[in-house]
Amino acid sequence: MAGDRIPIALGAAALLILVATPGLLSPFLVQFLINLFMLAALAESWNIIGGFTGYASFGNVAFFGVGAYATGVLLTTAELPFALALAAGGIAAAVFAALVGMPILRLKGHYFAIATLGVAETTREIVYNLRITGGGTGLTMPISRSPLPFYYLMLSILLATTLVNWWLSSSRFGYGLIAIREDEDAAAAMGINTPLYKTIAFSVSGGLAGLVGGVFAYWITFIDPEGVFKVSTTIQMIIMAVFGGAGTVAGPLLGALVLSSVSEFLSTQLVSLAELVNGLIVILVVLFMPRGLAEMIRKRQFSLRDFARNFREYRV
Amino acid sequence: MLLTQVLVNGILLGGLYGIMALGMSLIWGVMNIVNVAHGALIMLGAYLTFWTFTLWGWDPFLSLPVTIGVLFVYGYVLQRFLLNLIVRAQLFLTLLITFGVEVVMVNLARIAWSSDLRQVSPDYAAANFSVRGITVPYVRLWVFCATMVLSVLFLLVLEKTRLGLAIRATSEELRAARLTGIPVAHVYAVTFGLGAALAGAAGGLWGMLFPITPVMGGALTLKSFVVAVLGGLGTMMGAIVGGLVLGIAESFTATYLGPTYPNAISFGLLVLILIFRPTGLLGRRG
Amino acid sequence: MAILEAQGVTKRFGGLAAVSGVSFNLGDGEILGLIGPNGSGKTTLVNVITGALSSSDGDVRFRGDSIRGLASHEIGRLGVGRTFQIVKPFRNLTVLENVMVGALFGARGGARALSEARRQAERVLEFVALAHLADASADGLNVPERKRMELARALAMRPTVLFLDEVMAGLNPAEIDAAVVLIKQIRDRGITLVVIEHVMKAIRDLSDRIMVLYHGEKLTEGLPHQVLNDPDVVAAYLGRRFAEQSHA
Repeated sequence: MAGDRIPIALGAAALLILVATPGLLSPFLVQFLINLFMLAALAESWNIIGGFTGYASFGNVAFFGVGAYATGVLLTTAELPFALALAAGGIAAAVFAALVGMPILRLKGHYFAIATLGVAETTREIVYNLRITGGGTGLTMPISRSPLPFYYLMLSILLATTLVNWWLSSSRFGYGLIAIREDEDAAAAMGINTPLYKTIAFSVSGGLAGLVGGVFAYWITFIDPEGVFKVSTTIQMIIMAVFGGAGTVAGPLLGALVLSSVSEFLSTQLVSLAELVNGLIVILVVLFMPRGLAEMIRKRQFSLRDFARNFREYRV
Repeated sequence: MLLTQVLVNGILLGGLYGIMALGMSLIWGVMNIVNVAHGALIMLGAYLTFWTFTLWGWDPFLSLPVTIGVLFVYGYVLQRFLLNLIVRAQLFLTLLITFGVEVVMVNLARIAWSSDLRQVSPDYAAANFSVRGITVPYVRLWVFCATMVLSVLFLLVLEKTRLGLAIRATSEELRAARLTGIPVAHVYAVTFGLGAALAGAAGGLWGMLFPITPVMGGALTLKSFVVAVLGGLGTMMGAIVGGLVLGIAESFTATYLGPTYPNAISFGLLVLILIFRPTGLLGRRG
Repeated sequence: MAILEAQGVTKRFGGLAAVSGVSFNLGDGEILGLIGPNGSGKTTLVNVITGALSSSDGDVRFRGDSIRGLASHEIGRLGVGRTFQIVKPFRNLTVLENVMVGALFGARGGARALSEARRQAERVLEFVALAHLADASADGLNVPERKRMELARALAMRPTVLFLDEVMAGLNPAEIDAAVVLIKQIRDRGITLVVIEHVMKAIRDLSDRIMVLYHGEKLTEGLPHQVLNDPDVVAAYLGRRFAEQSHA
């Protein structure tokens, strides 16, 4: 489609720059970018179940954590090479998501959201109580000297998640997910196998989050339940996707870019206020831009009236 | 008599869980808002009780009405001027915004009051009595009585007053309520205020038994969910029954499995109930 | 052989039977009108047959094979389609995309390639005279346009049997006449139709046979002029007194 050519060209150019330059950047900037890639990949992975399928999961950090711990345990205890451990981590997360998804995806609205939250919390508590995961004391990975491998790894995973989203936006499977989001009963009447499609979407979303988690574990070198299974991680991936435009391909990327830059800037200026501002950002985005940046860019209008439009629809 | 002691401990704690869930269940049932900031409201109530006790020596039980009043106003304002703006949006947006509110409240508390552990310890804190080998700290007993009194008062307001009728009517049928002249924006705000007041009371009482920190609310929000769903969403009696069930379950888990297990059990219970009996123990089917 | 057979279909909600012991045969290529006062169980019957609801008792056979207990998407794939009484558009998609979903997932699994689905959808939109709105958002349509899109979506599935649930509700007389013409054209393409309606003029014009439901049970069935003049049928809609008056 012609309208896609500019964004694709931009994306390709950005990719080229990102691939070619890390050696020239300061260590601080490299770490910032790795973190950015991670959040963007998480936002893109959430977009599959939350944006395309319309099932807003509030517990995807559970799959991130399962990936992190599965990779971590295999790396340390089983002493597998990292590539294998990472692949296993992703698969473990995907399988876990499929198993959890089968009963939970039958729930609607708030019940689904809270069930996913419950899954994340339960998973954290279970990991905390297991000995193989190191329990409360956590797991320590072998140290690696350079951040560059992680830079490229995270970038690759970001690329993978973005490509999955892109494929969804113009494939039969993607149309099925969108139909489920728009009207699940109608979708079923049209011949879409809704339970299967939902479970696949949830599983892929979880598996990708698990891959991110696996790389995260090795990068950060030390993981513990409190640090890995954070609710704030889920909120970040959701708000980035929503701010950028849930259900679009580039939305989560944009959202991650803007929000993590703002957050980074603020946290260097006002250290103690950083999280506070993150909370305010969430409130402001929901109030003023629930449809996200992507929608605004697509329509090429930035009128104040659009900001207020939500109020008429949503207020009591 | 360990069994009975564990049971008694569970019941005493359960009363507290009950009024926590009552506030959440009310807001959820009437406005379909799942208030993730519920725990933060509890935390606010706890800190209020702590500061009035520490700065002015107010007895924590006697300062409860003040805490309830302050939290009611706070809740009213929050709903009227913020949450009312998005109350008819998709469910996950309202969930997301209350997450934002929670983060803001917790971090403001952290900045204002630091993360140091606080405790409310009046002179009678350590006193207890024994009945047939079962030890009951006076404070726990009085806290339990307070929760029962508050629950009854709340149910009376809901069932017997005009305000309660307006709240129940608005929750049943928004458009019809509007047409009969009920000021919905105001009723919603009052409802949230009541829910916040209950949370504040729960916080004040909680603070007498457990340490107070800015982040204490997170787990309590989830436990309130568990109890609200367990008892049956929208049924007030269900919240109280559910609270007792959770309190007893946690007490047994902590004693017989270990102190790190109760949370895993509560959250696991939540997921199981949502899968197998989402209407809860007392809720109506479908 | 009947293309669709219902035998004793029953659906209970708690103690209440919304549909009770309904049996009928649908002949290949016919138009069966389904009428009855509000609450008589017409939509519930359609929901049970198309798998949106499970049946409490009875059987449904499509081309001789039982379809009882199948999920709605499986029944859709077999070739039994339906429209919804309150239309269910995919609001954030265009009209063309809405119809493409039907083409992608319809009978026998639908089209696999998006381009093929798009072609099929365009042809269906031509047929229902909505081609000019192909790229419009499904959200901004007026009532007759919404109904036609709902119809187009169901047609894109290439159904063998199609249940139309009050397709004409909310249409003015001119729009109703246009709808009748369109429905006849659908039948001419070889699709068997069950038309639920309250607009008696249209039902009389369209139907080869009419079946009447009352309180969840089949009251009667037969040729249009027989059924529509049957005093029991009139009584069901208007009450005993009017039925007696009309025959006085």
